[in-house]
Amino acid sequence: MGRFLVRRLAQSAVVLLGVTLVVFLLLQLVPGDPVRVALGTRFEQDTYDALRERAGLDRPLPVQYLSYVGNALTGDLGVSFRSGDPVTGIVLERLPATLTLAFFAVLFALLVSFPLGILSAVKNGSVLDHVARVFSQFGVSVPDFWMGILAIILFTGVLGWLPPSGYTPLGEDPVDWFKHLVLPSVTVGLVTAAILTRFIRSSVLEAMSEDYVRTAEGKGLSPRRVVTRHVLRNALIPVVTVAAVQLASLLGGVIVIEVLFAWPGLGQLTFDAVRARDYPVLQGAVLLVAALFLLTNLLVDLLYAKLDPRISVR
Amino acid sequence: MHQSIRHLKHRLSLATGLVIAASLLAACGGGESVDVDGSSDDGGGGGGGGTLQAAIGGEPDQLDPHLTTSYFSFQVLENVYDTLVEPDENLEMQPSLASEWETSEDQLTWTFTIREGVKFSDGSDLTSEDIAYTYNRIIDEELQPAYRLAGVKSIEAPDPTTLVINLDAPQPNLLSALGGYKGMAIVSKENVESGDVKNNPVGSGPFVLEDWSNGSSIQLARNDEYWGEAPALDGVEFTFVKDPTVALQNLQSGQVHWTDNLPPQQVDQLADSEDVVVESAPSQDYWYMAMNHEREPFDNPDVRRAIALALDREDIVKVAKFGNATVNQTAIPETSAWYHEYAPFEQDTDEAQQLLEDAGVDGLEMDLMVTSEYPETVSAAQVIASQLDEVGITVEIRELEFPAWLDEQGKGNFDSFMLGWLGNIDPDEFYYSQHHSKGSNNYQGYSNPEVDQMLDEARTETDEGARKELYGQIAEQIVDDVSYLYLYNPDVAQGWAPEVSGYEVRSDRAIRFRSTSLDE
Repeated sequence: MGRFLVRRLAQSAVVLLGVTLVVFLLLQLVPGDPVRVALGTRFEQDTYDALRERAGLDRPLPVQYLSYVGNALTGDLGVSFRSGDPVTGIVLERLPATLTLAFFAVLFALLVSFPLGILSAVKNGSVLDHVARVFSQFGVSVPDFWMGILAIILFTGVLGWLPPSGYTPLGEDPVDWFKHLVLPSVTVGLVTAAILTRFIRSSVLEAMSEDYVRTAEGKGLSPRRVVTRHVLRNALIPVVTVAAVQLASLLGGVIVIEVLFAWPGLGQLTFDAVRARDYPVLQGAVLLVAALFLLTNLLVDLLYAKLDPRISVR
Repeated sequence: MHQSIRHLKHRLSLATGLVIAASLLAACGGGESVDVDGSSDDGGGGGGGGTLQAAIGGEPDQLDPHLTTSYFSFQVLENVYDTLVEPDENLEMQPSLASEWETSEDQLTWTFTIREGVKFSDGSDLTSEDIAYTYNRIIDEELQPAYRLAGVKSIEAPDPTTLVINLDAPQPNLLSALGGYKGMAIVSKENVESGDVKNNPVGSGPFVLEDWSNGSSIQLARNDEYWGEAPALDGVEFTFVKDPTVALQNLQSGQVHWTDNLPPQQVDQLADSEDVVVESAPSQDYWYMAMNHEREPFDNPDVRRAIALALDREDIVKVAKFGNATVNQTAIPETSAWYHEYAPFEQDTDEAQQLLEDAGVDGLEMDLMVTSEYPETVSAAQVIASQLDEVGITVEIRELEFPAWLDEQGKGNFDSFMLGWLGNIDPDEFYYSQHHSKGSNNYQGYSNPEVDQMLDEARTETDEGARKELYGQIAEQIVDDVSYLYLYNPDVAQGWAPEVSGYEVRSDRAIRFRSTSLDE
């Protein structure tokens, strides 16, 4: 187990290094000059040259990359091209909002998709099954920003129950925090729930047709025991993977939803950084997201070993 | 078996139901309605105080007035900083930090008397030295507003209440160069040198920055050291709401008191609404199309004129601005003292086709570069394309993200593009850098020696009448040559709650809350 962890962490470090290189190279291919974007439309050439030099953008690319990686190893991700603030602080500051949104979206999704997915499989072909299938089709195909706007119009405009956008830190005012959290997390969660419901349904259906289920039934086990002990135990292992991938992708920030709901997370930060061509911030955000992704995967692998005795970590 | 499974299913669906019910219940917070944060907590009752909640369309990148170019930064900074002089509602320059000024006979020396007793919000005195420091910082470090001080030879502060600016040549628009833009704000040396100015600016304006919570809001509080009349509001909280529909929901639900981020298609309808106040004013901005004079056949002025004749600006305004703009064939809007009436082009497809035929142009295909950053360019381009189609010109609309757009513009890689200029005041700002053959923003490649000469002359012409006449001639020549194909001046629309009073929409888009109050 210890050796497994060490090996995985070492692999992760290599992956992260690769991420920095790929992102750095990709950014060179993106059209758009950060200096020109920063100066707006009116400036003199001298101003342009001075800013380019101050930002270190006049140095050769390999020098820029190596100095970036060198500093990154010490936890210094550079300074924002636009604000001049340290990138490490900027990205970490956005983490709580993104973690909150991702966690509650997945929680909502699990609470909805588990019962819905399992029931629609167990009650295959029933009205409930059809409802579940329509729901998941709807959730997967309807754009989330559109659902978000409808939700705002309904819950703010018509009913007046919830604020349309914004964020309050939990420590400041828990009630307000929750009110602001509901709409974005339910909007994101619905999409995730739709994906998970479909997956759980098919996974349970598949497990129910396995020989060991027939054997269990043949042994005279009660149907509830068959479902809980035999079907679910086996059907849910792949679900863990899919749920974890969903969680990991939400940790990367849900750009459209964060922008719509004025949610101060990594997604909105990434959006602003791309628009401003603020490459240091963008690199920092991508690096953090990649690290979160790797961490989530690692946790899932460990969880696997717990769920399924046939899998062991070595 | 059947029965037990049903039992299980029943339990599960009950669980689902409970979860949903619980989240809905929690969501509505016990049926309480949502009230406006802040204003009620701050005890601002009858006195017109309280905290004004303002939703703006994005977050400032930083708050150093000399480094930022973001309008979102200036919306905040307008309330934090002062300039030497400042524009009134008619955009005439009025005293601010300078209480009066005089110019030498040769117009090369301007002497400003600086108001006494002005303090920065940290309590330190603001004197002529701070002003000299500010301007020298902009010049020496070649910061973005440096172009405004290009004609300055030296700046002196002989005593705390006197500032002397020496010029290389007479500069009749010096006042608007110094005061027409918050990027010329007077900063505190200490604040700059400590590096705090980016996130915690210290100014001498009516409000002072209290808190910036990244990604969500900036809070200003009344500056008790303010030299002018104390603001009625206890403070202003700016929140950043990018989506106009969401910003409007914030206003209508009472979450915010003020926003300038209204969905353009709803402005007219909102003006009749009772629960919000929406007002528009003509702006100083103009939107235009430019063709690449270095490419054939756009190097031929007649081809450019043919295109000008093929357009119907009213239709463009209807689609791109939902009617909230005034068509104009020159740059400067009707409301400006520098307006010059001139409109030689009336849509005439026959004449346009004749001009194209005479120029030997047949089956012209051109691209029109627009950007999703400014959606009005995209919708205007569609109208322009269909109007040009009628004279046999095929337009390919190239919609780019703004940084990429700027790249292409800089490289001269376009047949034509559409964009706007925002917030100019003096005619030199409207015409020089865009149309002088050596102008830094002459991306279209216009060159007319006569216009160059007039632009240089008008820059230093100190007689206002003669100067105005000169700019009239310049405007006519630019329009005749179709250096830019001017389209319209948009209105600026902003909305606020009925309890907001003392706020005015300004044509330069400056957002000033110093005289604003909240009733009840």
